[in-house]
Amino acid sequence: MTHVPPPFDPELAAALELIKDMISPGLALDEIADARRGPGIEMLADLDLTMGGAFEVEDRQVPGPEGEPDISLLICRPTAPGTAGARPVIYHVHGGGMVIGNNRVGVDGPLAWAGALDAVVVSVEYRLAPEHPHPAPIEDVYAGLLWTADHAAELGADPERIVIAGASAGGGLCAALALLTRDRKGPQPVGQVLLCPMLDDRNDTPSAYQMAGLGVWDRTANETGWTALLGARRGGPDVPAYAAPARAEDLSGLPPAFLDVGSAETFRDEVVAYASRIWQAGGVAELHVWPGGFHGFDGFAPQAALSQSARAAHVDWLRRLLGM
Amino acid sequence: MKELAGRLTALDPDAGAAVRVIAYFDRLAESRAGVEALVRGAAVLAGCPARLVDPERRVHVRVEADGTRRDTETPPDPAWPSARLAPGGAATLWLERAAAAPGVVGPDHTRTESRPDDAGQARPAPDPDDAGQARPAPHPETWDGTGAVPDTRFGTATAVGTASATGTVGATGTVGTASTASTTGTASTTGTASTASTASATGAGSATGAAGAVGTADAGSARYGTGGAASVVDAVILERAAGAVRVVLDRTRGRAPADDPALVETLLDASAPEPARLHAARRLGLDPAAPVRALAPLNDRPRVVPDGVEAGPAGRLGVGPAVPVLELPGSWAAARTALRFTAEGTAQDPGPRVVYADELGGIALLAGLVAPGAEPPPDVRALETAAATAPWLPVTLHAVASTASLRAAAAQINVHHSTLQDRLAHAEHLLGWPVRTPQGRLRLQLALAMRRLARP
Repeated sequence: MTHVPPPFDPELAAALELIKDMISPGLALDEIADARRGPGIEMLADLDLTMGGAFEVEDRQVPGPEGEPDISLLICRPTAPGTAGARPVIYHVHGGGMVIGNNRVGVDGPLAWAGALDAVVVSVEYRLAPEHPHPAPIEDVYAGLLWTADHAAELGADPERIVIAGASAGGGLCAALALLTRDRKGPQPVGQVLLCPMLDDRNDTPSAYQMAGLGVWDRTANETGWTALLGARRGGPDVPAYAAPARAEDLSGLPPAFLDVGSAETFRDEVVAYASRIWQAGGVAELHVWPGGFHGFDGFAPQAALSQSARAAHVDWLRRLLGM
Repeated sequence: MKELAGRLTALDPDAGAAVRVIAYFDRLAESRAGVEALVRGAAVLAGCPARLVDPERRVHVRVEADGTRRDTETPPDPAWPSARLAPGGAATLWLERAAAAPGVVGPDHTRTESRPDDAGQARPAPDPDDAGQARPAPHPETWDGTGAVPDTRFGTATAVGTASATGTVGATGTVGTASTASTTGTASTTGTASTASTASATGAGSATGAAGAVGTADAGSARYGTGGAASVVDAVILERAAGAVRVVLDRTRGRAPADDPALVETLLDASAPEPARLHAARRLGLDPAAPVRALAPLNDRPRVVPDGVEAGPAGRLGVGPAVPVLELPGSWAAARTALRFTAEGTAQDPGPRVVYADELGGIALLAGLVAPGAEPPPDVRALETAAATAPWLPVTLHAVASTASLRAAAAQINVHHSTLQDRLAHAEHLLGWPVRTPQGRLRLQLALAMRRLARP
């Protein structure tokens, strides 16, 4: 097995130069507090959520999991009158390695899709590890989905057309959410968008080794995130699929999936493997591996040519999925 | 990336946007990024559309600030900040920043005013070649004396020797940025004064001389000069991007493509198959639909240039008519004919050094009648005989033949009008025909033209 990493795309390599002081490849447990306070998250969350007035924005406190605190949902509804009937919903789960971030982080992508597709965006705030280890995050995410499906009419939304979507840890949580709601017979999403998702706590793929110390979210950071979520169970024999979807035995009966990942990132091999296993289980999945992409590249450098292609692919897939 | 860079500047003002710009383009160059990626980098970092136009190599790339490619037919605005890829070349990189519009300068933005006496030290005496390459602020902007105090720590931190790590940009200079700390997080502007000079060190690189203010009070104002000034960051972006683009174009499109003699030869050869000639035209960067001219220099290889491009350095030159590329053999034949009508422009051989075939008209027919080196016609022999006895005669007769009046002819050769009259009387005697009548003047013009044609 070679540890020579694939090269970064030239534009993305240059973009890394711009962010290298703020975003380092690694993250240790004792650095989580600093990372939460640092400028990176603030920067990613510092968005005009109305997208120039296209959305009306609301923070709603809704019931959390049974016996647990309320959760907060960021709800963004198009201000322009809809064409007819209820709108689809993008139910968004933010990233941040299970340990950092808030429901503003990365929501610009789903807002752009919703602008193109006339959809409602709901972005869930979930409790973070290590203070709140598994299953707190996924249960919060599930509670938000329940509320969204139950209150769709109130949002002018169609509960039969909820697409769950997230990047990185948010992608992993969405994959877990698809498994969980399948097994609990909860609301059935119409699709799952898993962008560079964090799926496998074992953290031992060739790509995880290849990309150590490079780009964004390397093997060290990944170990930190999974350890925060799972503690001593990380990498061991009894990790539940609702924590690490790569552990799932059964990937049948899931909604159609869109998966993408960069070729130059830790998660490349686990994402490719997950897509293959969906197909092997008779499921529907579309997989894009973006050459030279680092983790989350289209969010950090949306203007790069590769990012433009990736973002166009997201909207194309949603259009086909929703028949729009 | 722009938002990113902007926010980085806002959050981390002492890091210096120029440093990041340089690192960005160095990294693009290292990974051998293409031209579009370089133009996109300029657009994204500057926060406005960027455009590369290389007419000789037919390269047009325009990228918007959001990174999307969107070419346009509209011509660039000369007021935009720009940098030429090479001194004297036509290839130019533009930042489409409207001169009058202050961009997105926030309400808190204040600009420091210029202090003219800094101009000399900030910017070296302009090299004529450099004029118009970068459009700097008319005066460097510097401390306004309103109590802003330079924080030398910042200045030290951001002093940048811009010698490129890749060695591709022949410009060196410093970007010194000094900044005061904002006293509150919001309202007060960070007064920032910057002077920069980047001067051409080698003459081969793109040179920019620029000075401007970079306000670092907020992300929005960080890279906008006002009043049409190219900010320091704009100047660094232009210099870095233009240098990198030049390297890529030289690598991928060939250096000085119009000089490939084999391709030019194919283009001018009527017996070469049309596809071969069209292929040669493309390789030479010529638009098959645009008119081109064949050039016939006396002591150099034939050349082909798009219509409207200057012929270049002096020397006797015949210029063919502007034609589609497939008709270049005809333009070439006409250019060689035109070359025979040129002269050295000396006392013994007065006349135009450059002759355009399409200005000859029927005179060109003489070329078929008078063979070089053959026995010249009688009027030419009369001219040669006369010139042998009177050295002033060729210049004087050329002046008479090529000006609108005898007074103008006298002025051209710096003699008194009466002196000219005396000389012409003498010349008419030697030649045996009048040169001051309309018919005689025509005969003289024909004789002078045939004299050039008869040269071996």
